[in-house]
Amino acid sequence: MKGVYLAVAIAEVAVMALLLIRVAAGPTISDRVVALNAMSTQAAIAVLFFAAYADRTIYCDVALWLSSFSYLGAIVWSRYLERELL
Amino acid sequence: MTEIVVIVLAAVGWAFSLSGAVGILRMPDVYTRIQCSSKMITMGALPVLIALVVGEGAISVFGSRALLVAVLLLVVNPVASHALARAAYKTGVPMWPGAVADQVADRMRRRSGP
Repeated sequence: MKGVYLAVAIAEVAVMALLLIRVAAGPTISDRVVALNAMSTQAAIAVLFFAAYADRTIYCDVALWLSSFSYLGAIVWSRYLERELL
Repeated sequence: MTEIVVIVLAAVGWAFSLSGAVGILRMPDVYTRIQCSSKMITMGALPVLIALVVGEGAISVFGSRALLVAVLLLVVNPVASHALARAAYKTGVPMWPGAVADQVADRMRRRSGP
């Protein structure tokens, strides 16, 4: 079962590497923020599964923080874009 | 038996995540990419988190955290997607040339017309 958890964590990180291409190449800021938002979700899942693999309870809080505050990044970016502060 | 269920759920979720990532890479403009990313977060993340709940039990340390993360993603992700789409439209990010409908522009035209 531990091996399955580690495999899932590595697979999610591989998906993040695909999204990183869009972050680097996105023509507008919105493209990059969309890809970053998806990446942070994948990162939260990967951290949670790595916590279950390594049996470290304290990493769970990292996953919880990532999933509850990563969307604030998207919200703040969209406020900046709407009010033309960039 | 539990391990088979965990593997199947994780594989389904990972397949959705991968197809969403390929969609974000391949789609032509930002609005279709936002659609891909929200599908990917909802359908890709939830089966994987449910796999952890099945594997560890709902009231264990990791299972309860996985349930909490799933609820947070369900609540928070549509808000972020809508805000991003609205900001992209307001800053004038161009649509794909093959797009056939722009209902916001239609409504603006109707309001300012005769």
